[in-house]
Amino acid sequence: MATNETSGTDRQPIVELSGVGKSYGNIRALHGVDLTVSPGEVTCVLGDNGAGKSTLIKIISGLHQHTEGEFRIDGEPVRLGTPRDALARGIATVYQDLATVPLMPVWRNFFLGSEMTRGRWPLRRLDIARMKETADQELRNMGIVLDDLEQPIGSLSGGQRQSVAIARAVYFGARVLILDEPTAALGVKQSGVVLKYIAAARDRGLGVIFITHNPHHAYMVGDHFTVLRLGTLELSAARSEVSLEELTNHMAGGAELAALKHELAQVRGVDTDVLPEPSELPSASAPAP
Amino acid sequence: MTMTQQDAPAASPPAPSPAQTDGRTAQRSAARRLLARPEVGVAVGAIAVFVFFFAVAPTFRQADSLATVLYQSSTIGIMALPVALLMIGGEFDLSAGVGVVTSALTASMVSYQLTMNVWVGVAVALVVSLAIGALNGYLLVKTGLPSFLVTLGTFLMLQGLNLAVTKLITGNVATDSISDMDGFNQAKAVFSSDITIAGVSVKITVLWWLAFAAIASWVLLRTKYGNWVFAVGGNKESARAVGVPVAFTKITLFMAVGFGAWFVGMHQLFAFNTVQSGEGVGNELLYIAAAVIGGCLLTGGYGSAIGTVIGAFMFGMVTQGIVYANWNPDWFKLFLGVMLLGATLINLWIRRQATRK
Amino acid sequence: MEISARTRRTATVAAFAAGALLLAGCASGSGGKKAADSANGISAGHADTPRIKVAMITHQAPGDTFWDLVRKGAQAAAAKDNIQLVYSSDPNAANQANLVQNAIDQKVDGIAVTLAKPDAMKGVVAKAEQSGIPVVGLNGGIDVWKQQGLLEYFGQDETIAGQAVGDKLNQLGAQHVVCVVHEQGNVSLEDRCAGVKKNFKGTTDLLYVNGQDMPSVKSTITAKLQQDHSIDEVVTLGAPFALTATQSVSDAGSKAKVATFDLNKDLVNAVTDGKVQFAVDQQPYLQGYLAVDGLWLYKNNGNFSGGGTSPVLTGPAFVDKNNVAAIAKFAQNGTR
Repeated sequence: MATNETSGTDRQPIVELSGVGKSYGNIRALHGVDLTVSPGEVTCVLGDNGAGKSTLIKIISGLHQHTEGEFRIDGEPVRLGTPRDALARGIATVYQDLATVPLMPVWRNFFLGSEMTRGRWPLRRLDIARMKETADQELRNMGIVLDDLEQPIGSLSGGQRQSVAIARAVYFGARVLILDEPTAALGVKQSGVVLKYIAAARDRGLGVIFITHNPHHAYMVGDHFTVLRLGTLELSAARSEVSLEELTNHMAGGAELAALKHELAQVRGVDTDVLPEPSELPSASAPAP
Repeated sequence: MTMTQQDAPAASPPAPSPAQTDGRTAQRSAARRLLARPEVGVAVGAIAVFVFFFAVAPTFRQADSLATVLYQSSTIGIMALPVALLMIGGEFDLSAGVGVVTSALTASMVSYQLTMNVWVGVAVALVVSLAIGALNGYLLVKTGLPSFLVTLGTFLMLQGLNLAVTKLITGNVATDSISDMDGFNQAKAVFSSDITIAGVSVKITVLWWLAFAAIASWVLLRTKYGNWVFAVGGNKESARAVGVPVAFTKITLFMAVGFGAWFVGMHQLFAFNTVQSGEGVGNELLYIAAAVIGGCLLTGGYGSAIGTVIGAFMFGMVTQGIVYANWNPDWFKLFLGVMLLGATLINLWIRRQATRK
Repeated sequence: MEISARTRRTATVAAFAAGALLLAGCASGSGGKKAADSANGISAGHADTPRIKVAMITHQAPGDTFWDLVRKGAQAAAAKDNIQLVYSSDPNAANQANLVQNAIDQKVDGIAVTLAKPDAMKGVVAKAEQSGIPVVGLNGGIDVWKQQGLLEYFGQDETIAGQAVGDKLNQLGAQHVVCVVHEQGNVSLEDRCAGVKKNFKGTTDLLYVNGQDMPSVKSTITAKLQQDHSIDEVVTLGAPFALTATQSVSDAGSKAKVATFDLNKDLVNAVTDGKVQFAVDQQPYLQGYLAVDGLWLYKNNGNFSGGGTSPVLTGPAFVDKNNVAAIAKFAQNGTR
């Protein structure tokens, strides 16, 4: 169980994965993954490209079904069919490139697919005033202040766009927020904006799954860290159990690099002193929850 | 072209962008916000064209002439509206031009061959037109092919069907006149009558056009469905991810084009009594042109119904204005092309000014 | 199960019956197909000569009423002469040339071709002649058929027809004519207007319209009439456009009269009613008929019209209120 100062151990996790795996035909994309998401806690999923991060979030967000292990929501084993099923259970996903429709105004984007209406059919129409007011309120609650909700969302910065998508998911009843590399395409400053809103979402009691390959970003907001490598767990540790350096090493394929160190040491001109010894690294698998 | 250059500098230069503050966006100036509306560019272009012909062609100034221009604009404009909606939804319909003729042929042949009241033919034609739209949409959604290809296929098929079925059924390539049949006068009153407004005889299609434009604009800006149209055209995957019924939206948009084709087809039938089966080819591009001049983006996700109305009106002004100005007809098409291109450039320039950060 | 299926079937039958009744209730009391007499066209016995194959290749644009008559004439002759007629057309000259090549490949016994764009057709026509296939011309190419070695030619000299219309308008006392061209750049259409202009003593204006879009034709003619009130005659180059022009005249409140080249069924009625002043007919049915019949005669008896030097002129034949009754009944059958 992840230890966290703000959340007591009595709080029941919303999402629990134990020994989950996924095979596409003969290819075993993912196996033996354990993951827990509790309310008010940020779980970071790290890993290099091809480590299995996207397969993992596809399972949790309902795009794909797992083929082994158990996936529990609120303690109940589930098998999600579509993203709509996941949404109905309070799991919302904000994709890096799929968050918004750039040319549409902010408030239309905010309510897209769940518009507020008034009047009877055939005169049922959008309740624009109420939607704008609500959107403004919700964005302010997340600490996002926009002067003009009519501006196309594409004219906002990348960080702001992600933030609007996060606020939107929160408003529509998400209990668990999956953020797929929200900072990947952003500059330092914009990344900071997004991290701020991740913290804001956590403080509102949401469970957050933050997928990234930047350990610095992860360490700034994460309560628990899961590192994937080659389709399985490389590390699963609470914040108190792991330092940023260790996290960075695991991300960089630490154990492999250490093994490589010996070979590199024989080549002159390569400074191997900065690389860690295998014995310095924490054990590859975290203590079972 | 000369007039477009004269008028271009009339638009105000963009205000310098205020510095952005962290977490907040700068307030956009009122002028900038006005310029960002899709119909502003075309409105400026249309005013320029209007002033130009008003100056050079005395006949253009008469109220009667305006009625003629409006009539020409309305027959393009009624179709351009659903075509614009479809374009905002991210798709094209190349079968729209021949679809009009298909609808007219259907109504004419059903009424004549079965000796039915013409309203029966009108109803059957509506069903056929909607079905063609639904088929276009269904094929698009199911196959995932670009709409350009799917509707190019239906365009060719309809062209062949129009000819072959007409020839098969009537033995001729044009339908028989239905002007002496029951219900013809009623239908003519609905689809093709003249109404006198302030002493000027105006074709009823002009009123229908404006009514349809109001409905289209309302649907687009004030309803859930309109929101979905912008979303499926702007970013289909995002729309799907947030629960917008993408397939439903696209199919119904194609059906709206079918409805437009039906209406214009009925107008042609009741205005001219017979239908030539080979007509309509090439008009689909005029509809698309009107929508694009009216500020719709070819790539989807942006545009307006009002802009499309002005786009069709501008097209009508240019086609008729050249006649009123009594220019050498050998150059007709060239003038037309240059003026349309000029208007589109003004439109583009203004939009660029508006969206520049 | 049995019962439910039967009930469903009964219900379906009932629904159909109700639909049929509903439709019957909507039947039109006037006009329609029932009112039109059964049109059988012309039939003239059947030759017992050996069956041959003839290709007719024209520059018809799809769905043109005029060409439909040419084709019907050709079919009537083919039926009579025991000929298998292969009709094909393409308004694009290169494609039309390909169609001729296709006929040569099929080893047909005769080719009837229109030479609307003669230069493009030159090569394939020569090829057909080298292969020993007799080639006759129709409708277009009156200036070049001899040069290209065609056997005979059936058609109307467009310039002469235009001049005849010009003369006729002088005679009727018209002052200002607008000649409506429905396809910009079409040589024979331009020739007609040029002919009118040459012999007509008043002013002749040209007006180009989009022949693919009737409402556009209508409003453009209206605009022209509004622009110039001195216009007292609208000359169109195809029957459907004349009918539209009559609407434009009334929309514009103009006093102009309408005359046209070519005929069709509705136009005959319009001439009878006096809505259209006159039409000049080049007898397309005759062109098609004679071209096929001419090939048959050449094959079976070595005859050819005009002795290889003069064309067979099928027009211009004027149709006005005085003589329209005589052809009205043929037009009703769709053969004039």
